[in-house]
Amino acid sequence: MIGQSVYVPRLLSEIESLAPGHRACIGCGEVLAIRQAFKAIGRDAVVVNATGCMEIIASQLPYTSWRLPWIHTLFENTAAVASGVEAGLKAMKRKGRYDHPDTKVVAIAGDGGTVDIGLQALSGALERGHNLLYICFDNEGYMNTGVQRSSATPYGATTTTSPAGKQSIGQLSWKKDLPAIAVDHRIPYVATACPSFPIDLVEKVKKGVATKGPAYIHVFSGCPTGWGCATNLTIKLGRLAVETGVFPLYEVENGKYKMSYKPETLRPITDYMKPQRRFRHLTEDVIKMIEKRVAEEYYKLLEKAECQK
Amino acid sequence: MVTLKIDGREITADSGKTVLEAARENNIYIPTLCVNEAVAAYGACRLCMVEVTRGNRKRLVASCLYEVAEGLVVDTQTERVVNIRRMVMELLLARCPNSSEVIDMARNLGVDKSRFQPENQDNSCVLCALCTRVCREVVGKSAISLVSRGTDRQVALPFCDDSDACIACGSCVYVCPTNAIKMEDRGDVRIITWPSSAHEFKMKKCASCGSHFAPEKQIAFMMAKSGLEAEKFELCMNCRP
Repeated sequence: MIGQSVYVPRLLSEIESLAPGHRACIGCGEVLAIRQAFKAIGRDAVVVNATGCMEIIASQLPYTSWRLPWIHTLFENTAAVASGVEAGLKAMKRKGRYDHPDTKVVAIAGDGGTVDIGLQALSGALERGHNLLYICFDNEGYMNTGVQRSSATPYGATTTTSPAGKQSIGQLSWKKDLPAIAVDHRIPYVATACPSFPIDLVEKVKKGVATKGPAYIHVFSGCPTGWGCATNLTIKLGRLAVETGVFPLYEVENGKYKMSYKPETLRPITDYMKPQRRFRHLTEDVIKMIEKRVAEEYYKLLEKAECQK
Repeated sequence: MVTLKIDGREITADSGKTVLEAARENNIYIPTLCVNEAVAAYGACRLCMVEVTRGNRKRLVASCLYEVAEGLVVDTQTERVVNIRRMVMELLLARCPNSSEVIDMARNLGVDKSRFQPENQDNSCVLCALCTRVCREVVGKSAISLVSRGTDRQVALPFCDDSDACIACGSCVYVCPTNAIKMEDRGDVRIITWPSSAHEFKMKKCASCGSHFAPEKQIAFMMAKSGLEAEKFELCMNCRP
């Protein structure tokens, strides 16, 4: 899927659910990911949107960029509200008051709203088995409030609440592996995606919405504002994150792991870290240590996919 | 603009649009296998059959080819429509007994088993011609086409032999609704498997990092099309400045 790039974009749907003119930063990877994802979802959907960048930029009263029915929720209850929407649609269908057989419920949230604050609501929704798709757009921090750390921030990254200095090297904990947590809920579909691989992302979202039952997609989306990189590097950094093994692309269907993309060899992690200000303070030893751990995790994942073939 | 009725709902659509397009814009589901917005409608799969009423006359038409008209009454779920779709699905199921996409679609339409005898257990091509149409209309290469007639009809490169026309772009692989065409990148070769034959394409190596990033033929095609010199294509996307 990854290698098809020359003419395949022309075969994608022309539906645009997020109108231009919104207030996203220059080079935002997240808004690009939303645009791609909603090409796969189509017109028959209800969007439940957690607080975060994507809510702020697309819905400043009295305007909105959304061309779909859209609900704004708090950080913590996105999955709960989406469950309610799904249950409500089901009840209305049963009573004969709603005649669209195939309306999709899509919850979108950032990493803060998913891995930190919204985790218990998400866990509940996955466990109850609602027929919904939850997409987490992960930019590794609370970027819209001024770059605070979240539990999706990678080790060593400097943010305003995990500042690097004489006594600290920045974020001291490792990135929480939420796709793995979602897999452990035994749900039918979990995937990771990145807007640098648009066709792969669109296909995964298509699969996710077609799944009967809960589906979870974790999208790694670059943030030039929070990461301190040039605005033209979002796509390249996403690609490098995948090719260095920092964010491997895979999908898990009914517990079965499958790698979506296997680079021939992992690129050195400095390729990914060097253009970003948040990693600028790291010494070579720390980078070596991070590289070792990233490779370990990557091969562990690869093993899981290989042994289940 | 014309006004028509689909399943009892009053709908306005631009004249010149097809019934299928009008229905999709209004979230009315009609199953299809051979439709893509990027290529002209073709009417191969016949799953999109609907019943149209004009005056006193009712008839079944393929909605992907039938244009909207003022006062048209369309039904997508009548008994006749459901029956004909199930019949088409049974025939497709007999043609592709092990294709998961066809099986899923059949199940959605209420068909579990085909009453026809399957001939080839491994076949998953439904001959919708999306691949050949995309190759001609979008890529502009016409590298693959439908050959032979009747039961021998299949998708193939000319004489099932290596072809200069194919640039190994993979558009046919992506667009295939039943995954009948497979593609795999194995280090320095890309292998594309059509229902008739499999072919290997050499991949270009990045001059800096040594990874294989695109088929050589595709790069030659891009070079000719863009008019840029060869040095611009020496590096992979990550190593380019």
